[in-house]
Amino acid sequence: MLSFLVFLPLIGLLLIWGSPARFARSINVLTCGVALVINLILAFGMKTWDGYSHYVQVDWISAIGVHYEIGVDGLGMVLLLLTTFVSLVSAIASWRIEKYQRGYHMMFLLLLTGMLGVFVALDLFLFYIFWEIMLLPMYFLIGIWGGPNRKYASIKFFLYTLAGSVLLLAGVLITVFQNATDTGLVWSIVELSKTASVSGDLVAGGVGLFCFIGMFIGFAVKVPCFPFHTWLPDAHVEAPTPISMILAGVLLKMGGYGMIRIAWPFFPDAAAVMGTAIAAISVIAIVYGAFVAMGQTDFKKMIAYSSVSHMGFVTLGLVAGTPEAINGAMYMMLAHGTISAMLFMIVGVIYDRAHHRDMDRFGGLAWNMPKYFVLASFAFFASLGLPGMSGFIAEFTTFTGTFASHLVDPVTGDVIYSYRWAAFAALLGVVLTGAYYLIALQKIYLGKTPKVYTDPKTYPDVSLREKLVLVPLAAVTLWMGVMPAVFMDMYKPFTDDLAVTITNAMKAMGG
Amino acid sequence: MDFSSIIPVALVTLGLLGVIIADLLGKGQKPIVPQAIAVLALLAGALSALGLEQSNDTVLGVLRPDAFTVIFTVFFCVVGAMTIIATTRGEAFRSPGGEFLSMILASVIGMAVLTMSVDLICLYLAFETVSIPSYVLVGMRRADPKANESSLKYVLFGAVSSALMLYGLSFIVGLSGGTSLDAVAAAVQNGAGSQPIFVVACLLVFAGFAYKISAVPFHFWAPDVYAGAPASVGGFLAVASKAAGFAALVRVVAAMTPEGVGDAADPMGQLLPEANALIVIIAVSAIITMTFGNLAALKQREIKRLLAWSSIAHAGYIMLAVTVWSPYALQALIFYLIAYLFMNIAAFFIAGIAIREMGTGELRSFRGLMTSNPGLAVFMAIILFSLTGLPPFFGFIAKYHVFYAVFEKGYIWLGVIGLVNGVISLYYYARVVAYMFLDELEEGEAPPSIRMSLVDKVFCAVTVIPLVPLGLFWAPIWEWAQASIPAVLGL
Repeated sequence: MLSFLVFLPLIGLLLIWGSPARFARSINVLTCGVALVINLILAFGMKTWDGYSHYVQVDWISAIGVHYEIGVDGLGMVLLLLTTFVSLVSAIASWRIEKYQRGYHMMFLLLLTGMLGVFVALDLFLFYIFWEIMLLPMYFLIGIWGGPNRKYASIKFFLYTLAGSVLLLAGVLITVFQNATDTGLVWSIVELSKTASVSGDLVAGGVGLFCFIGMFIGFAVKVPCFPFHTWLPDAHVEAPTPISMILAGVLLKMGGYGMIRIAWPFFPDAAAVMGTAIAAISVIAIVYGAFVAMGQTDFKKMIAYSSVSHMGFVTLGLVAGTPEAINGAMYMMLAHGTISAMLFMIVGVIYDRAHHRDMDRFGGLAWNMPKYFVLASFAFFASLGLPGMSGFIAEFTTFTGTFASHLVDPVTGDVIYSYRWAAFAALLGVVLTGAYYLIALQKIYLGKTPKVYTDPKTYPDVSLREKLVLVPLAAVTLWMGVMPAVFMDMYKPFTDDLAVTITNAMKAMGG
Repeated sequence: MDFSSIIPVALVTLGLLGVIIADLLGKGQKPIVPQAIAVLALLAGALSALGLEQSNDTVLGVLRPDAFTVIFTVFFCVVGAMTIIATTRGEAFRSPGGEFLSMILASVIGMAVLTMSVDLICLYLAFETVSIPSYVLVGMRRADPKANESSLKYVLFGAVSSALMLYGLSFIVGLSGGTSLDAVAAAVQNGAGSQPIFVVACLLVFAGFAYKISAVPFHFWAPDVYAGAPASVGGFLAVASKAAGFAALVRVVAAMTPEGVGDAADPMGQLLPEANALIVIIAVSAIITMTFGNLAALKQREIKRLLAWSSIAHAGYIMLAVTVWSPYALQALIFYLIAYLFMNIAAFFIAGIAIREMGTGELRSFRGLMTSNPGLAVFMAIILFSLTGLPPFFGFIAKYHVFYAVFEKGYIWLGVIGLVNGVISLYYYARVVAYMFLDELEEGEAPPSIRMSLVDKVFCAVTVIPLVPLGLFWAPIWEWAQASIPAVLGL
């Protein structure tokens, strides 16, 4: 059943291939809808969030010990749900794509298979294949259906992520053959994590550090962490709206997922060694991302940099290592997934009408497009962390968790480890985030309306199709803000275990 | 004396004679009969090689029909047959006649003998038997000044490097007191490997191989020759000739690292010990070859030149496997060559029909191919991404195995350099894809029209479509490659 979910998009792809172009978008939406339903059925069918359900393991290439091994636990399931949900709304948002419809929707579904595969693969080889498969459709989706500078943006995206991927591959290869058993190579993420939780880093010493850094950079390019983030603004600005939504909503989460599922559990000690450095780049990402976002006049670029800033919390929470911090980091991924998808749709709505995104040229849109204004300000406030919405829960949990990551030797009074400084520094980012969103809100929606934007024919309020995209996203954002426990309970068994591993590693390093 | 083991070579030789006779009898007509004879002879050679009784005993002390020989004989026969078919469809001449066919067959015979040679004199003779028909093949379009230039370049480079090689071999024979590889192995075991003259000899011998596999600094001929020759001949040189060079190189290196004889009970488990001068030379050349090949490919504007530089870069990756010199690495080498066969024969074939139809191989002329011929554009994209080494294509698995071997040996930096090279190569491969898919034609500009016959389409499908399933289920080929390793390493 889980395999069926992963490969369902390929069935949709073949259907699109075999049918006329005018059915392509309907088949896409239908496939995404069915995927979401199946996903929900799978979620309700899980008795426990701890450990892997719907587990399948079949020999694939026995000569090198590779298996087709998939399964989901709560952590995987919550991200699967995010993926199918965001894909469905993006598929609806893709309705107005005119150019080469069949190709677009086929690529969209191929991308979906890749994303779903990443979150369910429990074999490193399989994981890597899914991880890389996504690059191809993404390259074409940005490159063919993107904006004027799409050629540059798409190849930049491709080169950056491939460079990250090969480092990831190097790290994975070394890890795997260093942990070969008598029966052959072990590619199972589950088994390798188990080994690491018992006996520490999978590869010791300098080589182990190299493996960790390789994996970290591989995932960091996707997250994206400062200084590996420069592909993101280009890719986002050039990508068509639905693809920006997928990119911010799901693709960036795969980087964080890789860190939580693979890099940290495999190399807790190396992660502790690199802790200060990673905390530093996280803080830089948060503050610098916010500053750069404030300086943008391009609406979409501002949102793109706000993603860089927000994703800094994910890595920060991970290095801090307390249960709350990791919990918050994970929640940030979920919250950002829906909020950023919503924000990119907000940009898309106005871009469809105005055909530019220059914030300085907008003004007073609130008066003629009240519904649009309400939805936009909802998304803005959710993103800047207003209590009651998901962004707040994520930031708050990460902060308290990071602040709590502080251990003093009771005898000597020496500080063993402390990430309090990072929490304080990141606080500055939150203030800045508030500032740039409020400035943007003022520039675009409030004040005097330039005459061009008053014509209700060219500037109608949000259409039904746009509402179908925005309202569900807003609803989920609100739901996640009011009832965070529903989602947290799903992944907490995994993140709490991870927190124990990480804290032990940090203690061992300090003592 | 049992001569049954040379049946494949004998069949191809018979085919060669048949082609010449058929060509003489059928003068003036379309050379369908000689073409058919040539293809059938090659297929018969491949099939008989598969059915061959493998043995580690030599014929006359110079030829060894072991599993390694079998795998490569099949390889060369298949490439030869594909090249003949591709040439009939390519840009140069619609109906290649007897001279072309006999040169291909002669070259294949040379390659097969080269692979099974365990005697330095026989090896050198086979080496020349491969080279001389290649010179003719390259210069076959006599009226084309470019073809003449490239042929001359090829001959000159070939002559110099094989002279160097012969000179180096003479030192080795002097050191070992015999011409057989066994004698060389015995001499190296007795300490000949540590003499300075041995290092000089290795350098000289490597020159000959470097020319065949187009390794830097003996690569200069490749871009001009590939661009001047018909695309299908370029493919033949890039795949078969290079594979022959590697096969012989493996035989020679195996003889020169005799202490590498592993544990017979666990032949695949044991890594061979640190290598000698020849391996160090190959390692340095591998790094330079792939880096230089990739960097030079970045600037190319013509499809055949691009493929030429790409094939130089790929030679670098394959040389990594020789450098590592473990059983796993050799298995990866054979596997890589098989993947390389599919990708490059297909790439050169498409280049050939594109030039046939458009009259030029400029990359810019591929703009908008997606609109006029989406199927071909998708095929080409698959080949290019497979050459880059992206999953789920065959090329990824080939690279994966090579790099696994490199990392397993502990050569982390060598592996990282190789992987970074893969990223560089994406830029130029993706540029072709960008021309085909991303570029928009200007107002009134017509997309390239490439009409393909049924044969063209079938040929493309047969070479390109396997890249996907073989990228996901490659176990049979991997095991096939494995079977030949104990023989060549003398395990």
